[in-house]
Amino acid sequence: MRHSYGIMDERKILLYKPHLFLKGNNLLIFPSKDFHKWHGDIKEYIDGLYQINSINLENGKSININELNLASGLLTNITEELEHLFDAKRVSDFSFQYVSTLDEKYTKRRENWYTSDMMKCDMRIPVKPSITPWIQHQNMMEIIDQSAKEFTMVRRKKSKELTDPSINEKRI
Amino acid sequence: MRVSEGVSDGNIAELYNPEQFQEHEEVIVFTREDFHRTYNSIRGQIDYINKVDMHLDRVEEWKLMGYWTKILERINILDINMNSMFKEEPVQCHLDSYLYDTIKSSEKKIAVSANKVSVQLKHSI
Repeated sequence: MRHSYGIMDERKILLYKPHLFLKGNNLLIFPSKDFHKWHGDIKEYIDGLYQINSINLENGKSININELNLASGLLTNITEELEHLFDAKRVSDFSFQYVSTLDEKYTKRRENWYTSDMMKCDMRIPVKPSITPWIQHQNMMEIIDQSAKEFTMVRRKKSKELTDPSINEKRI
Repeated sequence: MRVSEGVSDGNIAELYNPEQFQEHEEVIVFTREDFHRTYNSIRGQIDYINKVDMHLDRVEEWKLMGYWTKILERINILDINMNSMFKEEPVQCHLDSYLYDTIKSSEKKIAVSANKVSVQLKHSI
């Protein structure tokens, strides 16, 4: 994200990297000390979420309900922090500042998120959905889409045969 | 947190609320568009996780195994968004949220502009 530090000087801001902004760009300006503190706070909560995951990472187990409740609590905290950002009356507490030192192996993105466990969840739909006009329409559109795909496939094959005589020769 | 909007003008930035900051205080400056995009993306991820959390029945613990990976994926995007604030290079979710945020043009606007064009043509003839 484009950002620049600056310093207040006679009710205006002197930018350290003015080349990043065009003339007339709308800007948002925060005090840098407060902003770093706020950023650190949210990072602390996110690292907390990763820590909940890391407990069971090595065992290959999933989390339990208590840990999910803990995670949703952390998310509520993040939401609160996000709201505090635009609350002018709120004064930051500078008694500590969090700097994330979490090992990268805990924050790594997994390749395949759609696991067999998720498939089980999707397969067992507990309530049979009632057939509404909207679902009927969706179903119809799916059929049309599929047939359109197949139709274009056939057409492409035919046009290839017409334009490329080598295919026909091979057949002969 | 104290915050102010402003407009860039060459080497300096003019503030709408200069009284928020002290003299010689160091500040950090973002463009409003970029910040809005990242902030909304973060809000979107949290909303998504909250929805999954709310719809999950606490009795069906076996479902958690599947849903936790989904939640983790969103946490990952959240983390990327937070890290991108102090990075120079753009991120992938930049484009996704940007497309989502675009304002649709309403039919009214099109009608008005069409009228204008026809009037101008008449005058020119």
